[in-house]
Amino acid sequence: MSASLAVEGLFAGYDRADVLMDVSIAARTGEITCILGSNGSGKTTLVRSILGLTPPRRGRILFDDADIGGLPTHRVIGLGIACIPEGRKVFPKLTIEENLRLGAYREADDDTIRERLRDVYRVFPRLEERTTQLAGTMSGGEQAMLSIGRGLMAGPRMLLIDEPSLGLSPRFVAQNFDVIRRVNEQGVTVLLVEQNAHQTLAIAHRGYVLSQGRVVAQGTAAELRNNEEVRRAYFG
Amino acid sequence: MDPGVLAQYAFNGLMLGVIYAMVAVGFTLFFGVLDVIQFAHGDVVMAGAFVALATYLALHGLGVAVPGLVVIVVACAAALAMALLGALIARYLVLPLRAAPAFNTLLITLMLGSILRELVRLFYPNGSNPQPFPRLLPTASVNLGNFTLRLDTTILLVVGLATIFVVNLVVRRTRLGLAIRAVAQDSETARVMGIDFQRIVLVTFAIGSALAGIAGVVYGLYYNEVNFDIGLLLGVIGFSAAVVGGLGSIYGAIIGGFLFAALQTIGSVALPVSSAYNNVFAFAVVIILMTWKPTGLIAEPTSERV
Repeated sequence: MSASLAVEGLFAGYDRADVLMDVSIAARTGEITCILGSNGSGKTTLVRSILGLTPPRRGRILFDDADIGGLPTHRVIGLGIACIPEGRKVFPKLTIEENLRLGAYREADDDTIRERLRDVYRVFPRLEERTTQLAGTMSGGEQAMLSIGRGLMAGPRMLLIDEPSLGLSPRFVAQNFDVIRRVNEQGVTVLLVEQNAHQTLAIAHRGYVLSQGRVVAQGTAAELRNNEEVRRAYFG
Repeated sequence: MDPGVLAQYAFNGLMLGVIYAMVAVGFTLFFGVLDVIQFAHGDVVMAGAFVALATYLALHGLGVAVPGLVVIVVACAAALAMALLGALIARYLVLPLRAAPAFNTLLITLMLGSILRELVRLFYPNGSNPQPFPRLLPTASVNLGNFTLRLDTTILLVVGLATIFVVNLVVRRTRLGLAIRAVAQDSETARVMGIDFQRIVLVTFAIGSALAGIAGVVYGLYYNEVNFDIGLLLGVIGFSAAVVGGLGSIYGAIIGGFLFAALQTIGSVALPVSSAYNNVFAFAVVIILMTWKPTGLIAEPTSERV
């Protein structure tokens, strides 16, 4: 049921400037692949290109060997890709349950939706305590839980996660990374975009380092941990 | 003043309020999903009334005269035709201008309104004069002192309230409504949830415009007359009602609609001058309300956190 993603020779950007230049990455079936990079390295543009929010100018995006480059976003999602976006992006004026149900928007079967709600509430009991609370009134950590839960509601074959640690306390970061690892163990392919190299490499199988829109290093998590350039950039 | 007369004024005010609320809900829905003002919306109400009138004349010509059936067919024709018109406006005028400044959409829909008005004036037979609108509802009435409760206006009031109620129910309680509200709050994240943005925008414009079409039929049945230029004032009033209530809020639009009708009614009952000044009074109060509560009467329910 899991899926693989390959990006080949991708150029993408806004207006006339390319942010990504000849980026090639592969997320293998059943693995956690991480994309490391500092602010402005093009990580989020990569996620947006895969989702069809910033269509690629050149290059291919293959999901299970089908080219999805330039497909409208809702059709990309329909193929079984879900995203936990940067900055959580919960719908502030909708309730927790409504936010979660939107995660399963493409799912027509009521029983399946109820089952997934139960699963999400098992992972995040905090959310079940306040199903009717408006998402905008929750704390940042709770919004992060909701955003992750919403991504899981889609029952995705592949999960794109953009900066889950952004602005969270270390306790929440550890908890969320643990959830990501468990989701992956259930067979979901994960593409994890992060600045936080230390904790990311602890759960990732392999990864890439982006700098100024180009891939500057790649390898298994262990290789990246020992890579001189990565050490200099991230581990001081 | 005699309580019967007062009740009559109140009832007529409610009737106006329901028409204004139906128009205002459209403005608020469109603003919700796309942050645009569709200034031809008042003329969509007018076009709905004329589609209803033309449908009635066609049925009449065919010899169909079952009263209940005629009014239902006429109302459905107006609603469906305006739903289609609304979706076309969204597809070919509003959506292509998304990247342009909001002023362009405002200007273009304003011009579309003039086109709709002039088309009816020029091409509807004798269109530059008011057209009689048939009485299609039972006209029985009871007199309670100076208050006359007519069956037809009561039906119109109930039907108007029911349509608003149904639209509100769709937006609050269905999967489609959830998608509309998601698009209204954050269209990009809504797309990431798998929502087909363009489809939701078209459906929203269809719903709001169908409501305007029904408002046109209610207007015609209430006044027994329609004219090519009724959309101008209805549009301004509907827009004001939506803004006073708080653009983007359905409840705000409903409250705004009834508030404006109440102000007009108070204007004609309580002012020492001629009742022709009721609009002056109502708009003046709206201006004062706007300076007091610039974001509308219905406040945002939550503060947004990043």
